[in-house]
Amino acid sequence: MMDELELLKKDWQKKGAELPKLSFDEIQNMLWKKSSSIVRWILIISVLEISLPQLLFLFPSIRNSMALFDNSTFNLGILILSIFYYAVVIYFIYLFYKRYKEISVLENAKNLMDKIILTRKTVFYYIVFSLSMFFVFFLYYALEMYFMDDVLMSIEGFEEVLKKRSLEEIRSMVFWGVILGGFFFTLVMGGIYFLLYGILLGKLKSNYRELKRLEI
Amino acid sequence: MNKELEHQFVTELENNQNIVHKVCSLYTNDRDSHNDLFQEITIQLWKAYPKFRGESKFSTWMYRVALNTAITLYRKSKRQVITQDYESVIFKIKADEYDETQEKQLKLMYNAVKQLGDIEKALVFLYLEDKDYREIAETLGITEVNARVKMNRIKNKLKTILNP
Repeated sequence: MMDELELLKKDWQKKGAELPKLSFDEIQNMLWKKSSSIVRWILIISVLEISLPQLLFLFPSIRNSMALFDNSTFNLGILILSIFYYAVVIYFIYLFYKRYKEISVLENAKNLMDKIILTRKTVFYYIVFSLSMFFVFFLYYALEMYFMDDVLMSIEGFEEVLKKRSLEEIRSMVFWGVILGGFFFTLVMGGIYFLLYGILLGKLKSNYRELKRLEI
Repeated sequence: MNKELEHQFVTELENNQNIVHKVCSLYTNDRDSHNDLFQEITIQLWKAYPKFRGESKFSTWMYRVALNTAITLYRKSKRQVITQDYESVIFKIKADEYDETQEKQLKLMYNAVKQLGDIEKALVFLYLEDKDYREIAETLGITEVNARVKMNRIKNKLKTILNP
């Protein structure tokens, strides 16, 4: 076996004439092509992931439905939740940027994989946090509607509905409607995210495991 | 200044392009993927070039960037279709230099190497390039002892592939 590997080594080092030969111009042209590396994709997808939940809040219909609730306690709660939410989001964006910048192709293979995975994890925690916050917002709405009748009353056309059903009935319906809606929304968003994550990092993960196995 | 840097880089890469081609032929199975990976390695080398200040030889620095790109950054290699008409450059063996048994052995060996995992290929590649275990360990981020152990395991694995 040793002899065969040595034979291979000898042949390997003689390779040269058989290899393709690119000209100066051909190489120069490549310098300005777009990279299709995993790090570039992580950046693109992460920026999308970070901005998408924010864009949802900007939808006019969502904003309008929030403005419907003209109730000071309710609004104060939303305000506090929002301030907390955005403070954490800004922290995550900072952390993501810092870690992204630390990724360098000059590292050894293991460190490079470590840093890519860490950067990716930052976005992962951000997504988990964002989804949980979405759910908290939904829950808050549901509870407000349940316990504060004037929130329900402030919805346009509510009096019409009240003629047909009792207040208690409507309360429960709205409460469970919002809770279930929030639950499915969180589930679908989470599903899309984990699918993307799996596709993108499949190969890296398996190579990382192979390297890790060497250390045991 | 930028033009000067670019000229310097392209000249260096042109002179050392064999290293990149060898990595590409190990990690890809058709001409398109080979060129694709070559291009990605070139882009990564160029992006990292300002940080390379001649502390080590240009070629030493290339090994690391090229392997990192092939193992970690490059994503397309999973969806390869092996085309019939294309024979990877590493399979082209100069028949006149070897006797028939040796030629057959070499073909089998190259085939066996192609079947290894990404990390194993990196080890074999550095070994074939005559790098010592210290450099292999540093490039991959493992200890020297583990690099030796792994290389021995790969030798055994190649043996099993060759003599099933």
